[in-house]
Amino acid sequence: MQDLSLHLLDIIENSVRAGASLVKILIDVDEKKDTLIFKIIDNGSGMDPETLNNALNPFYTSKTSRKKKIGLGISLFKQITELCEGSLHVESELGKGTNLEATFKKSHIDRMPIGSLADTLIGSLIGHSETDFYLKITHNTLKQSFEYEFDTRLLKEELGDIPLTYPDVIQYIIEDVNNGIKNTKMGEI
Amino acid sequence: MKTLADLKKIREKAQKDMKLRNTGSRFKIVVGMGTSGIAMGAREVMKTFLDEISTRQLVDVIVSQTGEKGLSSMEPVVDVIEDGKEIITYGNMNPERVKKVVSEHIVNGQPVADFIISRD
Repeated sequence: MQDLSLHLLDIIENSVRAGASLVKILIDVDEKKDTLIFKIIDNGSGMDPETLNNALNPFYTSKTSRKKKIGLGISLFKQITELCEGSLHVESELGKGTNLEATFKKSHIDRMPIGSLADTLIGSLIGHSETDFYLKITHNTLKQSFEYEFDTRLLKEELGDIPLTYPDVIQYIIEDVNNGIKNTKMGEI
Repeated sequence: MKTLADLKKIREKAQKDMKLRNTGSRFKIVVGMGTSGIAMGAREVMKTFLDEISTRQLVDVIVSQTGEKGLSSMEPVVDVIEDGKEIITYGNMNPERVKKVVSEHIVNGQPVADFIISRD
């Protein structure tokens, strides 16, 4: 995977497959601290200590339906954080959910570009309409602070029984998320 | 910038549409979004479906994402499920192929034989 937002998508998919009804995606860039942090917090099925220990092993998967017992997602993400002096931490509790935090040194020469964050977020929000998403982007530059929030719970409340895949709703989400990313200067990272 | 008033307009228009059609969704599109699918371009496939649905105003199509389907060598993989018909699975999808599937299968009802990898 050639950009960070593809890894983010893979982690979001894990949360949805864990049965989460709410996934919080928090993205924080701090130019002074030179950090880029992704937090993905879900209220899915969570992992017991043994599964959590195994989660960072590329030769393990929790998906019992698989013939191929290899789950690369989280271990790949960990590897790319460590390549640029960052780290990945996962906390999880069975029945309560999982919190994943990936930290990157923003200026590191080996840090992947963030890529199309908008496409990752738009696809997830609309493609998992049964799951609620709360998104918050914070970007502190040396001079200014930018912030963007999107909450599908509020959107669904306004829409009533209109599905998120209704054409004009898709257009609304595409425009809102793209504007949010543009206004927080995330496209330049 | 879109506002709550825009959302209200969308809701009113959609409610009128739904009343007129008086039916649910005719097509369900499911894009495989496992790790190998993502690495092979499933995100761009999903985005192209959303763009096409929005641009063509396809009000009776829903699109969703799912995990891996065990067809890693043919990722990105997409199921097209039409009410009362067999499930058609397309493989090795990319944005250009998505546009062809939308135009020929979803809009005109003719599955694109060249891209089909299984029928259920």
